[in-house]
Amino acid sequence: MEKDARPSWDNPTQFVLACVSYAVGLGNVWRFPYLCQSHGGGGFLIPYLLMLVLEGVPLFYLELAIGQKMRSGSIRAWSNISPYLGGLGLASVVTSLYLCLYYNIINAWSFWYLFHSFQSVLPWSVCPINSNRTGPIEECEKASSTQYFFYRETLNISPTIEENGGIHMGQALCFVLAWLITYLFVVRGVKSTGKVVYFTATFPYVVLVIYLIRGITLHGAANGIKYMFTPKMEELANISTWINAATQIFFSLGLGFGSLVAFASYNQYNNNFERQAIIVSFINSGTSIFASIVTFAIYGFKATVNYENCLERTRVLLMNTFDLAEDSISMDNVFDWIEKLNATHPLQFAQIADKYDDCNLESELDTAVEGTGLAFIVYSEAIKNMPLSQLWSVLYFIMLLLLGMGSMLGNVTAIITPLRDFKMLSHMSNELFNGLVCLFCMLLGLGFTTPPGNYWFTMFNDYGATFSLLFIVLIEVITVSYIYGIRRFEKDIEDMIGHRPNWYWKTMWVVVSPVLLIALFIFYIINYTMGGTPTYQAWDKELGKSVVTEYPVFGQVFIGLLLVSSVSCVPLTALYVFCRKRKHGSRRKPELVSMVSA
Amino acid sequence: MLEKIILLLCCSCAVAQHLCTPDASDGYKVRLSIKTALEGQAYEWNENEMFLFRATLAFAMRNHIREQKFEVSNIIVCNETPRVSFWFVVTSPESTSVLIGKEDVEEAVRKSRNRINSAFLLTDKTLEFIGILPTLAAPVDPDTPPWLIVFGVVMGIVGAGIILLLVSSVVQKKRKNEMTDDEENCEETRVKTVENGSVGEGVYNMSFSDDERFTQM
Repeated sequence: MEKDARPSWDNPTQFVLACVSYAVGLGNVWRFPYLCQSHGGGGFLIPYLLMLVLEGVPLFYLELAIGQKMRSGSIRAWSNISPYLGGLGLASVVTSLYLCLYYNIINAWSFWYLFHSFQSVLPWSVCPINSNRTGPIEECEKASSTQYFFYRETLNISPTIEENGGIHMGQALCFVLAWLITYLFVVRGVKSTGKVVYFTATFPYVVLVIYLIRGITLHGAANGIKYMFTPKMEELANISTWINAATQIFFSLGLGFGSLVAFASYNQYNNNFERQAIIVSFINSGTSIFASIVTFAIYGFKATVNYENCLERTRVLLMNTFDLAEDSISMDNVFDWIEKLNATHPLQFAQIADKYDDCNLESELDTAVEGTGLAFIVYSEAIKNMPLSQLWSVLYFIMLLLLGMGSMLGNVTAIITPLRDFKMLSHMSNELFNGLVCLFCMLLGLGFTTPPGNYWFTMFNDYGATFSLLFIVLIEVITVSYIYGIRRFEKDIEDMIGHRPNWYWKTMWVVVSPVLLIALFIFYIINYTMGGTPTYQAWDKELGKSVVTEYPVFGQVFIGLLLVSSVSCVPLTALYVFCRKRKHGSRRKPELVSMVSA
Repeated sequence: MLEKIILLLCCSCAVAQHLCTPDASDGYKVRLSIKTALEGQAYEWNENEMFLFRATLAFAMRNHIREQKFEVSNIIVCNETPRVSFWFVVTSPESTSVLIGKEDVEEAVRKSRNRINSAFLLTDKTLEFIGILPTLAAPVDPDTPPWLIVFGVVMGIVGAGIILLLVSSVVQKKRKNEMTDDEENCEETRVKTVENGSVGEGVYNMSFSDDERFTQM
């Protein structure tokens, strides 16, 4: 009777697309370009590709192998490998839970921006007028219209993490919508996810190509691309370049969450995942590089526009202060005029010195941003200057949504699959169980739509998954290589795909990856302990910019809880299993003796 | 006699000029950016344009203070620069040595700002009265914010999709239950395999694994 046979992908392509959709996410768009720029442009590709080969592909292969062999979610899979290591799967589930809680808020913001793009004037392109109708709102003038729209109208952010407020209704609505769509995608488990990934994996590339064409034809794009790709080889001597390359590969592939184990568990037993692992890893890195070309074309455009606006402002200021004829100063000779006027009218020049800001193309390009700042502030600033900005805005936010939703599929599957392996939960229907999980995550995640929500989001983003994942994957690779035994693992793989993994894979699993991971782990610990009190960027309304603020005590305690709660699953479960075995062991011994003697 | 008249005129002119100075307490600075506004079709700023300005301002003053009849001569202009900026003051029609107060001038300009702008084909940004802030257009406030409409559409589609999927799975289950009821009646004698929940393969039994420590002979 095949009634309760494990559901599976309709064909291997669905599996590959699911992995691509999961791995290619927002990090490819908003973290890699930043790293590329801060670590020497084109030169960063060397440590990046090296790390891909040394740790990315082997660890990806490892997780897929475990999932496909054990044909169950992460908790049961790791318990099968060693009964004491069921906690490893549990740690993955806890980390995935944290990720699910906060990740969908990004999709909510994307929805908010998408819906606001359907207006004749994009709301983040102009400052709203104040109540007296004499000028723009002060906060908006001090910052910029795009920053104001993000911090005030989208988030309604509080000055610090301590202050509270009601839920932002528009945000909450978009958040509920994001969860409803997530539910729609996973409602039937693999059957529904498998169909959705055809779209979520491929359409972002369509948008990226369109943006590439638009981007390189923009005025000033060449400045950005040239700036990014000029390799600064001296950065390779800096240890943090290599560490950042290693962590980027690691997090970008989504290792340790259990999603890959879950996806692979739905494969046919003899699926050739070796080839698929290599394909997906390289697609992921290729997308990062591709996305950064697009990002830097856009950067170059934005920097050039800002630089030219700065020149224009300076020109008008000079003309008005010194009452020169309108066409006497042009954009090209602004700097010559500055020198001339400084020499001839030093006193008057000194008076306007505070109003006059230095226009520098280099410094505009240098303002490297990552994360939500890049995606929602810098990009929307660039988009508002493009002709037909509504169209570009809609396209861009649809792309962000697809990338985010694709990753959410993996995140939710990583929670659902292991939990369904438990007997008591497997009797529930797919739809009900998935609905309960989504509802639970949604209700908890509503906290991120309150005024301090963005600060909690940053906290979760920085601490919720980073450290625990390193720990989890380190234990994973040591378990497979030493506790389970590399020989046994080889035989399992031969059983599945017909040939043993060659010397490259074995060397990586046994030696190179563990060493790299231990190095990363130690580095993170040193960073946390030496870094002093953890801080965050709080938005100051009066100044119109972010200021570095320390976390209050309850914030630090919460960070500690986040770190400890997932990591501690491993030793606690091992202890629990050990105690249970001892209890059962003392009961079973007489039975064994009787069996042997019979 | 003639000399006296000329002297009087010169004196009054001088007095009048004396009233208009940069940073005068009752005066305003005006700045025009004709080339920025009109680019190719910019006109030359000359005496006639200045006359038009003074006439427009007199019109604005008349509109504001209805009882007094302001003339072009009541608007005194000084300190013209190549930028096309200058200062002006407004004298009272009853006595040329008395200036109209700052607030009245500001009110007058505010009321007729649109007319003054259109006389010169300029806007609030390109014809600036330094110190008189333009009243910005009221923001258009629709009853339903447009984003809510798009949201409603998307939410409706998603909701419909979910309901459709749930209903179809319930219908499928009912059909399967009917079919399995028929099958179960025929299969009561078959031995049912022990099922381990949703995991089809069972637990990996390590005691029978290929542990090479023990099998190397």
